[in-house]
Amino acid sequence: MGSLVGIDVGGTFTDLAWAGDDGAVTTVLKVPSTPDDPSRAVLEALDRAGVDVPGLDALVHGTTIATNAIIERTGARCALVTTRGFRDVLELGRRDRINLYGLTGVQHPLIPRDDRWEVDERVDHRGRVVTPLDVDQAAALADDVARSGVDVVVVALLHSYANTTHEDEVARIFEAARPDWHVVRSSAVVREYYEFERTSTAAVQGYLEPLVAGYAAALTDKLASVGLRHEALVMQSNGGVVPVSRLGSRAAHIIRSGPAAGVMAATQLAAEVGFTKIITGDMGGTSFDVAVVVDGEPRISETTQLDFRVPLRIPMIDVHTIGAGGGSIAWVDRGGTLQVGPRSAGARPGPVCFRRGGTEPTVTDANVVLGRIDAARPIGDDTGQALDVEGARRALGELGEDLGLGVEEAAEAVLAVVNTHMAGRMRLITVDQGYDPRDFVLVAFGGAGPLHAAALLRDVGVRTLLVPPRSGVLCAEGCLVADLRYEYSRTVERTVEGLGDHELEAVFSEQRRQGLAELVADGEELVRTDVLHFADMAYLGQVHQIRVRVEPDWDAEALAKAFSSAYLREYGAALEGMPTLVVNARTSVRGVRRGDAEPATTPPERAAPPPGQRRPVHFDGAWCDTAVFRREVLGPGMTFAGPAIVEQDDTTTVVEPGMRARVDGRSNLQVEVA
Amino acid sequence: MTVDAITISVVKGALESICDEMDTLLIHAALSPIISETNDCAHGIYHPVTGETIAQGRIGLPVFMANMQFTVQAVLDKANRSGGMRPGDVWITNDPYLGGTHLNDVNLVVPVFVDGELFALLANTGHWMDIGGSVAGGWIPTATNIHEEGLLIPPVRLFEDGEPVASVIDVITGNVRLPDMIAGDLTAMSSALRRGEERLRGLVDRYGADVVRACQEEMIARSEREMRSYIAEIPDGVYVHADALDNDGVTDEPCGLRVAVTVSGSDLHLDFTGTAPAPAGPMNLARNTTVSSAYVALKHIFPDVPVNGGTFRPVTFTIPEGSVIAAQYPRPVSGYLEVVGRVIDLVFGALAPAIPDKVPAAFFGTTGVVTVSGHHPERGEYVVGVFPYPGGYGASASSDGQVHGTPPQSMANFMSIEVAEHRLPLRFDYYAMRDDSGGPGRTRGGVGSTYAFTAWSPLSTSVLGDRVDHVPFGVNGGGPASGNEVRFRTGGEEWVPPLRSKYQDLHLEPGDGVVVSSPGGGGFGDPLERPLEDVARDLDHGVVSRERAADVYGVVVAGVEGPARRPRHRLDEAGTKERREELRQRREADRGAGAARPEASEAVDSDGGQR
Repeated sequence: MGSLVGIDVGGTFTDLAWAGDDGAVTTVLKVPSTPDDPSRAVLEALDRAGVDVPGLDALVHGTTIATNAIIERTGARCALVTTRGFRDVLELGRRDRINLYGLTGVQHPLIPRDDRWEVDERVDHRGRVVTPLDVDQAAALADDVARSGVDVVVVALLHSYANTTHEDEVARIFEAARPDWHVVRSSAVVREYYEFERTSTAAVQGYLEPLVAGYAAALTDKLASVGLRHEALVMQSNGGVVPVSRLGSRAAHIIRSGPAAGVMAATQLAAEVGFTKIITGDMGGTSFDVAVVVDGEPRISETTQLDFRVPLRIPMIDVHTIGAGGGSIAWVDRGGTLQVGPRSAGARPGPVCFRRGGTEPTVTDANVVLGRIDAARPIGDDTGQALDVEGARRALGELGEDLGLGVEEAAEAVLAVVNTHMAGRMRLITVDQGYDPRDFVLVAFGGAGPLHAAALLRDVGVRTLLVPPRSGVLCAEGCLVADLRYEYSRTVERTVEGLGDHELEAVFSEQRRQGLAELVADGEELVRTDVLHFADMAYLGQVHQIRVRVEPDWDAEALAKAFSSAYLREYGAALEGMPTLVVNARTSVRGVRRGDAEPATTPPERAAPPPGQRRPVHFDGAWCDTAVFRREVLGPGMTFAGPAIVEQDDTTTVVEPGMRARVDGRSNLQVEVA
Repeated sequence: MTVDAITISVVKGALESICDEMDTLLIHAALSPIISETNDCAHGIYHPVTGETIAQGRIGLPVFMANMQFTVQAVLDKANRSGGMRPGDVWITNDPYLGGTHLNDVNLVVPVFVDGELFALLANTGHWMDIGGSVAGGWIPTATNIHEEGLLIPPVRLFEDGEPVASVIDVITGNVRLPDMIAGDLTAMSSALRRGEERLRGLVDRYGADVVRACQEEMIARSEREMRSYIAEIPDGVYVHADALDNDGVTDEPCGLRVAVTVSGSDLHLDFTGTAPAPAGPMNLARNTTVSSAYVALKHIFPDVPVNGGTFRPVTFTIPEGSVIAAQYPRPVSGYLEVVGRVIDLVFGALAPAIPDKVPAAFFGTTGVVTVSGHHPERGEYVVGVFPYPGGYGASASSDGQVHGTPPQSMANFMSIEVAEHRLPLRFDYYAMRDDSGGPGRTRGGVGSTYAFTAWSPLSTSVLGDRVDHVPFGVNGGGPASGNEVRFRTGGEEWVPPLRSKYQDLHLEPGDGVVVSSPGGGGFGDPLERPLEDVARDLDHGVVSRERAADVYGVVVAGVEGPARRPRHRLDEAGTKERREELRQRREADRGAGAARPEASEAVDSDGGQR
């Protein structure tokens, strides 16, 4: 295997990780992102790292282009064609509101009402045609739509998951009318029931398709101009990659691909040192992203809310985001209670200590005041200017006055509040899935993750904290390890007894065939292909389903048994005698790009060399003389005790008093309560 | 004992996350789709002596916010009279006169002991799909007695010494239509509380009982302080608003409600004197639900205040005994949702002129349901389906009203059409935004929704709604929304039920159906001040008709472009200015002539308010 480059384009920085022939990462770096044309930063990063582009075997890329287009509503103008009587499904949603409390605000549908059209046709829940498609009407409609000046046509008809023929036919009519239109069929994007979620997902795909296809073409040209010989791969939100030439048709699949890449890297790094149950915590300037990995598989979420009434029903690595980052602002509410966030100082004006005009105290300011961040060597800042410690102290001093606290106490209070908030979310998402967080290892990354992770270790009760060697650019590294991945689902909605002979097997085998065909079309070199089958099951009448790994040839009894044991684990009690329903059949087809890494050996323990520096750092109400290590000097097997600070170019790790750290065989820091 | 700022914040966060965790567990494990799909449940932690709320989940349903505190207090009282709370107890009750809401909302309460002493109470409420009674699902439009509405469970022990009391469970499952589902819900509800107890013990182990106790007291005190700071910003005065329910489901007479809100410093007094006596039908609220509904309205106006026992200490009530909002045994309560909506609107209507930047116009206001039940030929089982009313929200100073909202006291969703067609033997004919139904204003009320379905196998249907005759009002010069409309289609005939939006047990043969059009939300501010581009967009989208644009918004259309079926409107700026001036003068003249009109419809010339 030749050398590889992973590049993750984030909102603020574009990160690069370059691995040599043996798969070991040799170079990492960060350059500022270029939001007007993200590919410019990609080329800049390649250039600055001195990557031998023609010699690359693969270039894998994570991007925020799709996410931003949805948030900023800069996607294509689309028309929506629905079953007569149902054009408003996209705007109505499912009867809800923006916030639990407060009744103001409105939604902004991706396709407004004057671009939504209807056609006479109707299929029932079993896929039987109730009203045949009026083909002439559809053709006349195509003419009207053509006059309205859209670029994309999204066709979403009722029950199309059960019978795709009407949707296919309408799509053909529109494609024939205007060959330059992008035409999206809802059943081709997600073949499941729930008309609003399916229509919305198809709308997201249509809305993004021209933009993403255009970006892919431009990026391909630019990379070819610097000599890339292989097709670039792009990270998807399910943790798999897709060749850039096919990106347009997968536009809805690359939402939040960067965070997914980080989880993939964390999963892989943890597995190499023997951990398969992990919680990942990625903390940056504005947000904290948490995900759960069980048995080496990141938890997948079926539906993600991209905005109010914009659900995306596509399997994505389930990354929960809360507004807790270095820039989160601390304030005292009217009741006199200290709060942190959700408001953030962002990059501008930023924390007080950044000297960019910020006046309100932030989490980063608290870390500076307490000596956890080295004010002389700020991360991700190329101005060379030291941080404004006095400014940060002043802001926290004012906050402290309102609370009856001194400066350091106020800073500690800010950290306690933000840590409680993050810990609560970590607990909730593990408990939500029926797990006990105490059985997990926390993998911390992102610029601020390792600063807070030791405190989270205590609050959540996890046993071990793992800080990867290049934790500040882990998402770029995640691009390197990802496989090709295609997921399929189909609504079945039958009790296990009601399934016909081999009915499920036929669905699985069709999905498997589709996935293998995609892998062939991708043309990537693979070491092996994995095909996994799952069934989403529930007790009859129950809404929340549990996904269970199944074999395609299982009979009713085997399916029901697998479900009841999964249910027992998740809820503590199985319900005897209730019929079991198979809601969706799912297949995941994965093309594995590289062999499994050798498990790491445990290096013999040895003491770390004396720290290069010591400085006072505030812990638990007192200044402690604290060892400060450079990450580079800490080799496998070395151990040291907290309190300690470990500094590297892309992040800072805090080891609290009463904790012990050790460097493992893959150069991760492992921290535990001593 | 005093605790430091850090500990309070941390313990507060931990207590709230315990409640969230219980909510999440129940939502996932419950069998009743109304819990699992629409989050119709809530969890809280309560004071061991006063029963006051200490913390609540952030996912649970708003209407249960204060009800659960009353339920816990009632259960605590009953336990104290029968030997006290004991370790291993789980109490159950659905008595609406003690706690509130209706019989389908079932409460469980468990004591948590620390070192042999009662430390706190945990409680949850879950909406069961059926509780017996004369109509499946529990909304009985013609009930005149609580016993028609289902099984009333007084506070009793469901578990003793940690073991379920089989006889109690048998009595419950023997009196409901869906016994397996209800048994599953009971298991799920008790498991959620057990998890809460474990977590609370963990917190006490870590910080010590005294510290956690002190934090709880402090949290209550701080919420009170915060709420008072908001009330103090409302100008002192007395603010009055009156509204009415169309009828009680039995007798066709309106039922009036009135509130006088007195703001004095940081105190708020709500006096409901002048509200009509309890009617014969099911449109009743128990007193505690009235209080809870008013709290919901205040929380929507001041969304940042955390909810616990302290939040509402500054608010006091006068609620006339024997009125529609102080129902006593054996008055039926299954129409309670309508009355809850009206109490919320009363508070909005009263405070809208006082704090116009914070209070929206009336929401769609009918929060009731269309219920269907019958045998499903494909599934071979008895099925019940519940379609709650969606509708428009009122406009506010900051935005138009949202469409297809869920009622303010709820977070319940509408079933997916495709899923409904799998579960029930019916087919939807359409499901759409209801054109021209939003109250006009400078910001426009959200439009209502309209849908129709047709049965393909025999079904029984009941409807319990309101706001046909008394429509959602506008505020600060905004106009009212269109009212509710229900029509039945049987034997090829389409007809309106005698009480317009209430009907019990209509038999539908294949081909028969129901048509529902829900109200929009009220408008905010003078429609003649609505920006032209907003009116043009409303015209392009078809949510405002050309007639209404001309008559109510006073705009002149200069021309249209694009396909005939989708004209895009260009407005004549000068012509509009002239026309608006004319309309203003005509309005002044009408006012001068002493035209007596209700305040809400004053701004509207053609589309008058109350019928």
